[in-house]
Amino acid sequence: MKCAVCGREGAGKLCQRHAVAKERLEAAYPLWVRAYGRMSWGDYLDNVIRNVQTGPWAKEVAEALRDS
Amino acid sequence: MTDRAPQSPQVWGDPAVSGGYTLVVCEKPDAAKRVADALSGGRSAASQVEGTTVFSFAKDGEEFVVCSAQGHVYGVSDPAEERTVYPVFDVEWYPLNLVEEESASAGRRIAAIRKLAAGAARFVNACDFDVEGETIGFNLLRYACGGKEKGALRARFSTLTEEDLRRSFGSLEPQAADGLARAGRARHVIDFLWGINLSRALSQSPLGLGHRFRTVSVGRVQGPTLGFLAKREREIREFVPTPYWKVTGVFEKDGREFSAWYAEEKVRTKAQAEEVRAACRGGTAVVVAVQRSQVQVSPPPPFSLGDLQKEAYRALRIPPSRTLQIAEGLYLAALISYPRTSSQKLPPSLDLRRILGGLGRVRAYSDAVEEILKSGSRTVQGARSDPAHPAIHPTGERPQRPLDGQAASLLDLVVRRFLAGFGPPARRELVDVSMDVGGHRFKALGSRTTFPGWMDYYGRYAGRRDQEPPPVAEGERAGVVSVTVEEKFEQRPPRYNQGSLLEKMESEGIGTKATRADMISTLLSRGYASGDSLTVTDLGFAVVEAMEKYAPSVVSTELTRHVEEMLEGVEEGAGGEADVVRETVRTAAEQLAELFANEGEVGRVIDAAIAGEASKAGALGGCPVCKSGTLRIVRSRTTKKRFVGCSNYPSGCRASAPLPQRGTLRPAAKPCEKCSWPVVYVSGGRRPWKLCVNPDCPGRSKP
Repeated sequence: MKCAVCGREGAGKLCQRHAVAKERLEAAYPLWVRAYGRMSWGDYLDNVIRNVQTGPWAKEVAEALRDS
Repeated sequence: MTDRAPQSPQVWGDPAVSGGYTLVVCEKPDAAKRVADALSGGRSAASQVEGTTVFSFAKDGEEFVVCSAQGHVYGVSDPAEERTVYPVFDVEWYPLNLVEEESASAGRRIAAIRKLAAGAARFVNACDFDVEGETIGFNLLRYACGGKEKGALRARFSTLTEEDLRRSFGSLEPQAADGLARAGRARHVIDFLWGINLSRALSQSPLGLGHRFRTVSVGRVQGPTLGFLAKREREIREFVPTPYWKVTGVFEKDGREFSAWYAEEKVRTKAQAEEVRAACRGGTAVVVAVQRSQVQVSPPPPFSLGDLQKEAYRALRIPPSRTLQIAEGLYLAALISYPRTSSQKLPPSLDLRRILGGLGRVRAYSDAVEEILKSGSRTVQGARSDPAHPAIHPTGERPQRPLDGQAASLLDLVVRRFLAGFGPPARRELVDVSMDVGGHRFKALGSRTTFPGWMDYYGRYAGRRDQEPPPVAEGERAGVVSVTVEEKFEQRPPRYNQGSLLEKMESEGIGTKATRADMISTLLSRGYASGDSLTVTDLGFAVVEAMEKYAPSVVSTELTRHVEEMLEGVEEGAGGEADVVRETVRTAAEQLAELFANEGEVGRVIDAAIAGEASKAGALGGCPVCKSGTLRIVRSRTTKKRFVGCSNYPSGCRASAPLPQRGTLRPAAKPCEKCSWPVVYVSGGRRPWKLCVNPDCPGRSKP
C-alpha cells in the first residue's frame, strides 16, 4: 500500500516513517491541551506545522491530516 | 585465506655466520630519514633503489640500510576479480599496486625492499608499534624479505626524537608475540569480506531493475555507525515539540538589578505561569538561603587519540580525520609522540624534565614551565592505558620549519594539555541563592574561579566561564522589578557532529582508534550523510532501512563489538585469527543469503534513493515560469555543456538559461530579489562570484 503522505510502500495507509510520526503527533496532543487549557485538533495541527522544532516527517503528517 | 604475495628467495641462511648489512624497515619515508639521521648522527648517505630513497651508514663497525614502505603496501583482494560476483569468501594478500590503481608506488617500494633484503644479514622491524604498524612490518618481512617475520628484531619507540630512537636501537628485542600482526591481518580480511560482499549486494541490486550501477558500500563498522546517525535522524524527523513556560524575575537590591528564575524551570501550563507572574508582580523577595560551596576541578588527563580528536573538534573545529592526519605529521616531525594510542597515562620512564626543558625555551610556555619545575609537581594520569604507547605528549623539540595554521594550533593544544596536567586543581566557588516571593520560590546561581590552577596552563582551551552571583545575603529583601513569562518548546535532539559521533563510536566499542575518523569521512564521501551537523541523506536511510530489514546484524553494534572483542583476544594471544574469520564468514553468509533472496525489494529501495539524490543534486529552486517545476542544472547530451532547464520540460515548460562552463556551481539559499530566478555561487576562479541564472534579469551583474 502506498503511503498517503509520501507514496512510499507501507503496511497501512502510511509508511513506517510517517506512521511513527503520526503516533508522536497523537501522543503530544493531550500535552498541548493541558498546557494551553484548551485547543482544538485543527489548531494543534496548525501550531505544530508552524513550529520550527517540529521534525519534517511529523510536519508532513500534520499537513496531510489538516488538509484531509 | 592464502598468500599470493610472492616471497623473495632467502639468500642468507644463518645471519650469525653470513655477511651482509642490517636492513631496517620503516613504515613511512619520513620515519626512515629520522631513524637514519638519529643512528648515524646525520651522516647517512641517501641513494635511490627502484625509485625510492634509502639511507645507508656504518655504526660501530656494522653496516645499516634503512628503507621504508608508504603505509600498507600489501592488501587483501578477491582472486577471482569478478566485480559482479558475490558472495566471495576466498581472499588473498597481494602487493597493493596489483589491486588498487592509485597504489602504483607500492610496487616500487616492494621491489626496493626485495632487492635490499637479498643483501641483508639481519632485519629490524621499525614500523609503528601498533596493530597497523605490526601488520605492515609483518607483511614486508614475510613477502618482500623472504619469510623474515619470525627472525627479525623489533625496534620499539613512541617518538621519533634522536634520543628515543638511539635508546630503542640500543636495546633491540627479538620480534616477540605476533598477536598484533595476526589480529591486524584478520581485521583486514574480515573487513574486506564484509565490505566486498555487502557492497556488491547493494550496488548490484538496482541492476536487476535495469538501472544504472552505483557503488553503494556498507561495512562492518560503517553499518553500525550509519545506524547511530539514522536513529538520531529519525528522532529529529519524528519530533513533535511540547510547550512549557519559563518564568524569570528581575530583582533589585541597593540599586543593583539581578535576574533569578522560577524554581520550577519548566512550567507545564500557561495558566500556572500566568498565575506566578500575577502573584509576584510588584512584590518583595525574601532571601531564604545563600549556599556557598567550593569545588575542586582536577586537571584533564593527558590526551589519548580519541580525546585529542574530540577536543580539537570542540576547541578548534578540526574534523577528527584531519586531526589524525595532522597529528601523524607532527609525530613524523618528532614534535609529538605517536598519536594512535588509547592511553591517558605518561609513564615514569618518560623524561618529563627534558620535555619541559625543551618547552621552556618557547616564550609562550616559559612561565608555565618555570612554575612547574619550581613546584616539582607530578603530572595527572587518566584511567585508560595502552600497552604499546603512552598518552600523546609533546617531545619538547622545536619545529625545524614553520607549521601551517592548523598544525601549529594542534601542537599548541597538545603542549598546553601536557602542561595543564602538571597544574594544581582549580578551585571554583558556587553560589546558590534561593528567594521567596509570596510562597513562590526563585533561584539564582553564581560561579567564579577562585584559583585557576591548571586552567592558566591550558589557556584558551580551558573554557572558564564565571557568572557574578546576586549581591544578596540570607534574610535580606529585594524588590521585584518585573516578572516575565516566556513560551518555550522542548528542543529536538541535536544531530551528531564529527566529534560527538566519534565519542559515540568509542563508547559503543565500534571501530578502532585508528579507523574511527576515517569511517566518518567515508560516510560523508559516500553521500550517506552531509553537513557539519551530520544529516542522513535519503540514500543513507535507504541503506540503513534495507539492512535493518534483511541484514540486521550489519547495522547492529553487537556483531561488530563481538568481532572487536575476539580480535583483541587474538592481539593478546588468547585466540586464533582463523576462528574469528570463520565465525565472521558464517554470519556474513547468513546475512547475504537474506539479502540475495530479497534483491528485488532492496534494489527498488536503493534505486529510488539514488534517483532522489540525483534529482536533488542539480536542483536550483522553483521555476518562476511554470511555477510548478524545478529549475535544475542539466548537461546536454550532444554538446556536453551545462545549462539550466525546468523539470517540467516534458510537459511543455521551456524555461532555460545558459551557465558558466567552468567552475563549481552551488545554489544560493534565496532566489534573486529582482526576478525570483535561482541564484548560484560560481567558484573555481580567483574569487567566487554570485550569479542570477536568468539571462534577462534586470539586476544581473557579477558583484
